[in-house]
Amino acid sequence: MIEIAIASGKGGVGKSTVSATIVLAAARSGKSVIAVDADADAPNLHLIFGVREWEWEKSYVESKVAEIVQSLCTRCGRCREVCPYEAIHVDEGGRFAVNQVICEGCLTCSLVCPERGAIRLLSAESGRLRRTTTSYGFPLVSARLNPGRPNSGKLVTEEKSMAKELASQDSLVVVDSAAGIGCQVVSSLAGANAAILVAEPTPASFAALKRVFRLTRHFMQPAGLVINKHDVNPGVTEEMEAFARRKNIDLLGRIPYDDAIPKSMAVMKPVVEAFPDSPASRALMEVAERVMAIVDDWQSWFTRFRPREPEPYRPIIIRPEGLPGD
Amino acid sequence: MGTVKVGLAVEDDSGLDSRVSSRFGRAPFLAIVELEDGEIGGVRVVENPGASARSGAGIKAVQRLLEEGVRVAVAGAFGPNAMTALEELGIETVELAGVSVEEALQRIRTRLQGQ
Repeated sequence: MIEIAIASGKGGVGKSTVSATIVLAAARSGKSVIAVDADADAPNLHLIFGVREWEWEKSYVESKVAEIVQSLCTRCGRCREVCPYEAIHVDEGGRFAVNQVICEGCLTCSLVCPERGAIRLLSAESGRLRRTTTSYGFPLVSARLNPGRPNSGKLVTEEKSMAKELASQDSLVVVDSAAGIGCQVVSSLAGANAAILVAEPTPASFAALKRVFRLTRHFMQPAGLVINKHDVNPGVTEEMEAFARRKNIDLLGRIPYDDAIPKSMAVMKPVVEAFPDSPASRALMEVAERVMAIVDDWQSWFTRFRPREPEPYRPIIIRPEGLPGD
Repeated sequence: MGTVKVGLAVEDDSGLDSRVSSRFGRAPFLAIVELEDGEIGGVRVVENPGASARSGAGIKAVQRLLEEGVRVAVAGAFGPNAMTALEELGIETVELAGVSVEEALQRIRTRLQGQ
């Protein structure tokens, strides 16, 4: 099994378009492939593949919220004073109630509540975990978070475990990661055999690319780069390519700016399916074919692009003044 | 060299046959192995508190290893936070995955002999 994570640091630069093309190309060539949408805040692979219903779905519970048991509450109001999130309010009837969207489940309220059992902790649904077989024949694992629920590396790990259960020894797993370099993205990259980075030639995307690239180096992963909309800013495209050469990142291809991409999203199809002859589709298919070649001859690509030296990503530790340990 | 405790992130709870996980923080279990003069003295598999953590999985796993008095940590990959914490604590890291605990210990024996 080979697991490839698609990441970009910055959002909206084409991760899902690239992921969808690779998955589709693999499925068309008869390969066993599983798509994982690891962006639970803004999942969209199911929209690209025109998924309208899920074969399997479950509630994803990992957070807790407090609830005030009205029959035991004496309305002393101490919980409201101490709540660090100001999540407790008084309703029109003078009853104390917890706003469960704001509540973080810290239970500070129950520590000060003088009435035994008046505050209890409930499990809250953070989101949904779901799976289906797309009309293109491959499985898609996806998740979505409810508003205000924090993003979660644990959820991504569950999605990847589900994909592994569906995978066989020679399957390809494509993980479409979230934007940023946070917990979700760390979980998307961790354990992946390689990363494909997607960027567009803007200073913002270039800066984000460098940040997410450092994370791939931390994990000692070989990386490839796809430059989307390369023709809108050729100068930055050149700088990005020079960066890729310097860092031994495999330049997998450039995609031209093409309004076939937004048009394909409107009809809920991958662009290579909806507008196969468009310039972007042709470039995307070339990228996907290169990725298929890499997967088929994994060892030689891995040897060539594997980082030579570990470059662990170390957060800077700032100690309180006067404490020993420096 | 005396007794050295090694903590390995593992996929299952099968003693020395447990498979070393590709990830540290979110591995389901941690195998704690006592090595006495290089020989395996005892193995215990405990739940990894990082596996069920919403965030900060790596740090929770490090904390567990610290409670166990582990000097060497083994997993396929360590996240940025786990790596920093282990380094600060002087716990050595070994990146290795997909083999049994027993085989992992064989492979890193020479490194352990330096402990």
